[in-house]
Amino acid sequence: MKKEPANWLAVLKIAMPLCLSYIPIGLACGVLLHAGGLNTWLVALVSLIVYSGGAQFLIATMLTIHAPISQIVIMLFFLELRYALLGSSLSHYLKKSSHKFILGFAFSLNDENYAVNYLKFATDKYWTPSNALLVEHYALYTWAFSNVVGSLIGSSLHINLVIVDFALTALFLFMVTMQVKRRLTLLTAILAGALSAFFCVALKSTLGIVIATLLASTAGFLADRVIRSMAPGSSLLYKVRGPSGTRETINEQELTEERLLKEEQEKDKDHDHE
Amino acid sequence: MNDLALVLLAGVAAFIPRYFPMLFFSKRKIPDWFNEWMGFVPVSLFTALIVKQIFVTSTYAFSVGNIAAMISAVLVIVIAYFTRSMTLSVVLGLLLMWALTTFL
Repeated sequence: MKKEPANWLAVLKIAMPLCLSYIPIGLACGVLLHAGGLNTWLVALVSLIVYSGGAQFLIATMLTIHAPISQIVIMLFFLELRYALLGSSLSHYLKKSSHKFILGFAFSLNDENYAVNYLKFATDKYWTPSNALLVEHYALYTWAFSNVVGSLIGSSLHINLVIVDFALTALFLFMVTMQVKRRLTLLTAILAGALSAFFCVALKSTLGIVIATLLASTAGFLADRVIRSMAPGSSLLYKVRGPSGTRETINEQELTEERLLKEEQEKDKDHDHE
Repeated sequence: MNDLALVLLAGVAAFIPRYFPMLFFSKRKIPDWFNEWMGFVPVSLFTALIVKQIFVTSTYAFSVGNIAAMISAVLVIVIAYFTRSMTLSVVLGLLLMWALTTFL
């Protein structure tokens, strides 16, 4: 892989906010895993191969209540099921990538780097899969390092989890705000939030998040289809106004135009077949 | 030893849902409807996660008691909307949360 020195720096700049927000959370996670009984080597290993804040907090919690391994692993599997959705939604940007690349990419995928990469893929047409992998790795090393430091400091460090947890919430809030481009997307988001609260409480499990995501995204998708075919002028399809015309918006407009052009070409092809 | 087994099994549990769907869909022509559908996934997932973190407690009870997080969340949305900066959103969000939990 050939990389210009400017590229790794540019990608690092994009990954930086993510890396920074991982430091306090990683420290906290390391402290908790240590308290749950994992030694520093295992904390390093779990950060590298599981690499997900939610999952590692779950492991730490279940270790402290002495849950059996089988139960921890099953819970974890359900918690991680959402990555099936995330992986699928990124996959069309990785069509030209090799099996080996996808293996490595999937291995280091998690919520936050997915969010960064999805936004970049959607708004920046020069964003490549190897850049995306680089973001994953920068975040991975920061994460693992913070976890290890956390486990070394152990109980001598008091971290306010309520505050630290909010770093991720703020990151997700930013992502949602950036992605709400249409009124319909906003409605989908609100629906997802309501369903999430309902199913998390009803099922007493984070599986509620998966169900809410599935239902809300399906509802949004179906509503989009129906409205576009039945009432193309509906105000639901209006764009949400941004504060200013930034470069990102322009870039996105180009992308949409490109996509429309492609669709038209494909339609022409279909006509030819007929 | 048990701990090592746990960590390795956890790695497997984390890897399966990440890898196979991604591999499956990257090597096939994805139908348009699937792409459109997936376009609604991130926004739904992130909102679901946010709501879980703010309104659902660790014992899975619904709660509107986390005033600090609610106020911070609204302000983070405003910050994100006007600055379009992830760094500012996260850093100011943390500061807000810290200030509100300390002084409320």
